[in-house]
Amino acid sequence: MHVMEGFLPATWCIVWWLVALPSLALGLYQLKRVMAVDREALALLGVTGAFIFILSSLKLPSVTGSCSHPTGTGLSAISFGPWITSLVAAIVLLFQALFLAHGGLSTLGANLVSMGIAGPLVGYGIYRALRETQVSIFFTVFLASALADLVTYVVTSLELALAYPAEVGGFAGSFTVFLGIFALTQVPLALVEGVILALVFKYIVQLKPEILVQLKIFPEEKIVAAARGLADAA
Amino acid sequence: MLRKYRLEVVAAIAVLAFIGLFLATTITAPSAEFAGSDTVGSARISEITGIPEDQFAPLVPQWAPPSGEIESALFALQAAVGGVVLGYVFGTWRAQRRMEARAGLSGTPETDV
Repeated sequence: MHVMEGFLPATWCIVWWLVALPSLALGLYQLKRVMAVDREALALLGVTGAFIFILSSLKLPSVTGSCSHPTGTGLSAISFGPWITSLVAAIVLLFQALFLAHGGLSTLGANLVSMGIAGPLVGYGIYRALRETQVSIFFTVFLASALADLVTYVVTSLELALAYPAEVGGFAGSFTVFLGIFALTQVPLALVEGVILALVFKYIVQLKPEILVQLKIFPEEKIVAAARGLADAA
Repeated sequence: MLRKYRLEVVAAIAVLAFIGLFLATTITAPSAEFAGSDTVGSARISEITGIPEDQFAPLVPQWAPPSGEIESALFALQAAVGGVVLGYVFGTWRAQRRMEARAGLSGTPETDV
């Protein structure tokens, strides 16, 4: 999903940096507020952030014969929203740009928009839409995480197609080509990521349901019902 | 029993299916190189623009790991940092649960919300 250093024209680098910066500022502001209200939130931030670190380091093979990595941003988007998530993603992407040559400083804005903002924003939107419904909290986490992952790669394709429209077919032609590389590779990875993060959410419900209630991540009744369901099933 | 571990079962099936898919791909497409999609994407940019890949110079000077070994070490480091934090927090939460249960502050731990 990284746009490699030098592979995005300067104008587009600036555009995506300008899109990304307000999100980082908002994330910083929100993070300070969350931490001021509840120090316990730090532990949950640790868990959700840890998954961004772990999953985005795993380059996995896929059906297209190339490798790609999950993003791990879904849990964070659900727990803290897309802006704080963009801040955590920025740390990972900066590390990868500085020490791994995966993405670069000029393309960091574009990579942040796809992995740190657009993906988490869509995941967060799905979670908000399903939060008050009868849909199980685990299925909600699955759906939000899988789509946060997939949308990240759709947006990478979009960024490249905007910068490099094909001579024949223009933007749409390029978009299809890049979708074939990035998004198609990502489908199986996104599904597995969704399942794994739903499983992790189960452990959070089992170990620390209070934090989910305090941060109002899901309505209390739903968390109580889920926790009780897990206990009764034993 | 099965209901309790339903999500674990689903996760195990998903991971096995993923591995199966990978093995199937190595058979149906023996020439697949499994290069990073970043690299494949860059190659395609070069095709679309007609500019050779080595002419895409970094806009900002960039350090690259001198070898694949060093690169994978740094990736492992990134995952390890995540793993340490994850283990620490889950361990703390679990210990808290047990201590609360032992102190009799709560009834059955899992249903105490």
